[in-house]
Amino acid sequence: MKVLVEVNSKDIANYVDSCDALLLGLEDFSVLNSVTFSLDEIEEIVNKYPKVEVFVKMDKNIFNNEIASLRQTLLKLEQIDICGVFFYDLAILELKQELSLSLNLVWSQTHMVTNYRTCNYYYNQGVQYALLSKEITLDEIVDISTNSSIQTIVEVVSLPSVGYSRRKLVHNYYEHFGKQGDSTLSILEKMTNKKYLVKEEKSGTGFFLNEILNGTSVISRLYQAKVDYVLFREEGILSFLELIRDTKKYIADGCIDSSYVEKYKKLGDSTGFFFKKTIYRVKKCKE
Amino acid sequence: MQRIELLSPAGDIERLKVTLLYGADAVYIGGEKYGLRANATNFSLSQIKEGCDFAHRLGKKVYLTLNIVFHNEDMEGVYEYISAVVGAGIDAFIVSDPFIISYIKKNFPQVEVHLSTQDSTTNYKTVQYFQKQGVDRVVLAREVSLDEIEQIIEKTGIDIEVFIHGAMCTCYSGRCALSNYVTNRDANRGGCAQVCRFSFAVDGENDFTFATKDNNLARYIGKLIDIGVTSLKVEGRMRSLYYLATVIGTYREIIDRYYHNTLTEDILEVLEERLSRVANRAVSTHYLLKEANHDDQYYTGRNEASNQDYLGQVISYDINQKLIKIYERNYFEVGDTVELFTPQGERVSFVIEKLYDEDMNQIDVARHPDNIYYIYLDTPIVINAYSMIRLLHH
Repeated sequence: MKVLVEVNSKDIANYVDSCDALLLGLEDFSVLNSVTFSLDEIEEIVNKYPKVEVFVKMDKNIFNNEIASLRQTLLKLEQIDICGVFFYDLAILELKQELSLSLNLVWSQTHMVTNYRTCNYYYNQGVQYALLSKEITLDEIVDISTNSSIQTIVEVVSLPSVGYSRRKLVHNYYEHFGKQGDSTLSILEKMTNKKYLVKEEKSGTGFFLNEILNGTSVISRLYQAKVDYVLFREEGILSFLELIRDTKKYIADGCIDSSYVEKYKKLGDSTGFFFKKTIYRVKKCKE
Repeated sequence: MQRIELLSPAGDIERLKVTLLYGADAVYIGGEKYGLRANATNFSLSQIKEGCDFAHRLGKKVYLTLNIVFHNEDMEGVYEYISAVVGAGIDAFIVSDPFIISYIKKNFPQVEVHLSTQDSTTNYKTVQYFQKQGVDRVVLAREVSLDEIEQIIEKTGIDIEVFIHGAMCTCYSGRCALSNYVTNRDANRGGCAQVCRFSFAVDGENDFTFATKDNNLARYIGKLIDIGVTSLKVEGRMRSLYYLATVIGTYREIIDRYYHNTLTEDILEVLEERLSRVANRAVSTHYLLKEANHDDQYYTGRNEASNQDYLGQVISYDINQKLIKIYERNYFEVGDTVELFTPQGERVSFVIEKLYDEDMNQIDVARHPDNIYYIYLDTPIVINAYSMIRLLHH
């Protein structure tokens, strides 16, 4: 099992010895990355650090007027020795097939990667990896890893992204209330007393739960289930380099060092949906 | 030239019948499993068959939503369910999961598959991908513009379905798990709690919502017909009989008048006014003509007004005694000016002169919803069951 990190800085040298793989947001095609990279920068990183795997994140919803640029971008990425492209929009898979690209793809439809049959479907379509939904249980993750041919990636530490809108929600808020501010709002959901971050960017507005998803305690189970990558997102996480360095060592040692789990209880006790099943209820119809 | 389809939601068998009678060409319904409206009444297998039989007798169609985002456990029994609803006569499935799409196209090639808006399809390349997977129709994301819709049709030639009326999501469909995090209800499996309409606090100051206004494209139906859209979809499987009768009846008239070249500006304004009276929220065209902006949202509270125009549903009309038998839904009284409208598009406005209770005692006020009343009306128009009466003014 490898450690994949989504970085929050362009100082890549800081990360390369501490992880196995990098996830870099591509400018104009990724969403909710504080730092994005140009194609040239990605090529430079790939050439400079050949021992680290590089994945490129292209997870925005694509519109007609972006197709030509998308095509050129994929053709360029085909020439760079990257490990794979995280995609949300199926236009990327269509172009891979249409252009017969050898580029590896990662099915990354945030909340929709939830079962092994569909993972296998995508595998048969030429998709090599899947970033599993954060909204499924650990048991479901294990089932997917066990029953699908696709290589699985599980997000274990992050400020969880929980929604994405095309609307300029922060701008609209300021306009309505006659205020001025930057592109981020902190909001409180009053029923649950939980805070969310609302972050606006060029492509739209994202929502984050302002509470760290701490999946360090489930890494050993993921390791046993032969999950291929665990994903750490840097945004909002303090002492991030130490965390990923410790995690890499923990995994290399077979996930048996209980002091690792103990140490990272400090990230908080939110385990997201690893142990919590969402409700799926359909009313019985009246005959 | 094939005429555009008017596609209506139907939350139960009665609404299915009413909306087809009021002019829908097809309805979409949810079964007991796998649909994205877990809290709608939904249809049993026998009701699906009854609905299909009813629709097919009228030369109309029924589509079944199978558009949840499937978890491992949801796959159990889904093959048998698909087979059973195909046997019940369903004309198309509305699906978001590509594995399910491939299963249906492989095993039931005679049944259409429509790609759900849950996939938020916003470009022609994605449409081409699904076209190759055998998808017959794509329900586009509500984030695309008129020009983008036209370009997608030109480049793919596939049947395109567009939402024209009803509630909107704040986020891209499928790309929102706010409901999961706030209420533990899975938005992508039918449990969406509409958290974007909840009230949030910002920095201890303003309470506000991210809610959007409703969608209303009545003024652009002609454009959508001209660019080659196949189907016009109304949102709302949980909407009432009265809402469906009014909205579907109104869009039926807009479409028919457009084809007959009788849709004048004056008439369109009357029809828009009719739609506005049944709405409980403000409306917008959102992304159709421009990027959605500040004006397309609500910011404070749910802003949903209760609508009490709907007075009741006609059960029958005694042509000899000139008495309408009505099942009352809202208070009315002698002297009220009301409008009766029928599934055939007939309308008559009148002042209530004589009113009787169920025991034929003459009364002045009908104050008890869910009771039977009789209203005197002498009219030459044919009044049949499922006609409705709305208040014009007290």
